[in-house]
Amino acid sequence: MRLTALLSMAAKVVVPKDYRFGTNRPWTAAAKRLNTAGKKRRKVFVEPIAAEDWSVLKGDMVEILSGKDKGKQGRVNQVFRHRNWVMLQGLNTHFRYIGKTGETRGSYVASEAPLLLKDIALVDPSDRKPTEVEWKFTEEGERVRVSLRTGRIIPKPVVERRDGIVPEQWKDGPKDTSPEDTLEKTYAPSLKTLEEEVMEKMGIVENRRHKGSYWY
Amino acid sequence: MGERPPLAALSLCSPVSAVSQCRALHTTVSRRGLDQFFDHPENWGETNVKSGAPWTAKQLRTKSNEDLHKLWYVLLKEKNMLLTLEQEAKRQRLQMPSPERLKKVSRSMVRVETVVKERETALRLLQTGQEKGRPGAWRRNMFGYAYWYRYKEYAIPWYMNKRYKRKRFFTPKFVQPHIRLRLEKHLREKARSATLQRGTRSKLKEKFPQMKVSAS
Repeated sequence: MRLTALLSMAAKVVVPKDYRFGTNRPWTAAAKRLNTAGKKRRKVFVEPIAAEDWSVLKGDMVEILSGKDKGKQGRVNQVFRHRNWVMLQGLNTHFRYIGKTGETRGSYVASEAPLLLKDIALVDPSDRKPTEVEWKFTEEGERVRVSLRTGRIIPKPVVERRDGIVPEQWKDGPKDTSPEDTLEKTYAPSLKTLEEEVMEKMGIVENRRHKGSYWY
Repeated sequence: MGERPPLAALSLCSPVSAVSQCRALHTTVSRRGLDQFFDHPENWGETNVKSGAPWTAKQLRTKSNEDLHKLWYVLLKEKNMLLTLEQEAKRQRLQMPSPERLKKVSRSMVRVETVVKERETALRLLQTGQEKGRPGAWRRNMFGYAYWYRYKEYAIPWYMNKRYKRKRFFTPKFVQPHIRLRLEKHLREKARSATLQRGTRSKLKEKFPQMKVSAS
């Protein structure tokens, strides 16, 4: 592949300011087909929600309040902050053919449609009913989601890390530093620079003096 | 836990297809002193080598200067090893095992440099009152922009330096009309963006009457 093309692929994706975000990621072929360069679409107005007010997290249990699957509860698979969308697992689906080639229609598959935030309500884990949620601080100082109807805390969903590491079951490799060594404090503040300290420790003696130069 | 970026597998030191054939012929692979450019032989040929988390700046600040000095070279050797691995992978047209290790090492090295710079700045401020180690001055270039000009080191004074005397650190009179046009353009852009923002805010208000006046 040409070097310039390779570099442009690896770099961060730059989208124009009036880019219409869809369910496909901007660097995929499907997104490029829908949003070609220079194509202008009608602007979509998205209700601005501050970052700290966002209550729905990936992996949460939510209930749908309106639409085809009204009243059903499901797990959040994906969150689209740009459009205030939420994709649930297996809910609000429509059917389409995938992998159409030549004569064959391909396989008939159920694909989910995104739901707006205002059609979604978080589910209280104790009584499994939809509630309004607010961010509040506990006595320890932790910021948690509290349901306004019952007052119970809704815990953050446990999401698997992308690299599959579970911190509780981690075992150090030969090149890893143990937690005790990492947290051990060896710093003693002194009026020496790093160079001076290291030279002292290694016994390096520098008697040469700088001849003098001009800085401008 | 904080461990330093770990192993990289040197799986690609010899072509993967030939390893199984060569194993019967010779067991020791002499690298002639270049052992540290390659990973532990256990990790050769694996596609996923597990690695811990990179060093954080908070952990590095508790370490002494000597420890940081040693850590820098350890990280450097690890980085060289990973780069060798990456290059060999490109040569063999295979995927490099666990490329995130390289990112972790680079980030750790950047953080070490940050911590060392912080300590140096603190000492310099105490001893001389200067924040920057390299001298400089605010100068105006030919286009009317004021910028921080960093001094360079020379062996001769400025009045003997012909190339330096040819540089102009002032704005000639004929540039003034262009500066005025630039200023007008800037003001026009600011006014346009302000009107645009006001327009979008009013449209959002009429579509979502209950929205809070967000930080836009």
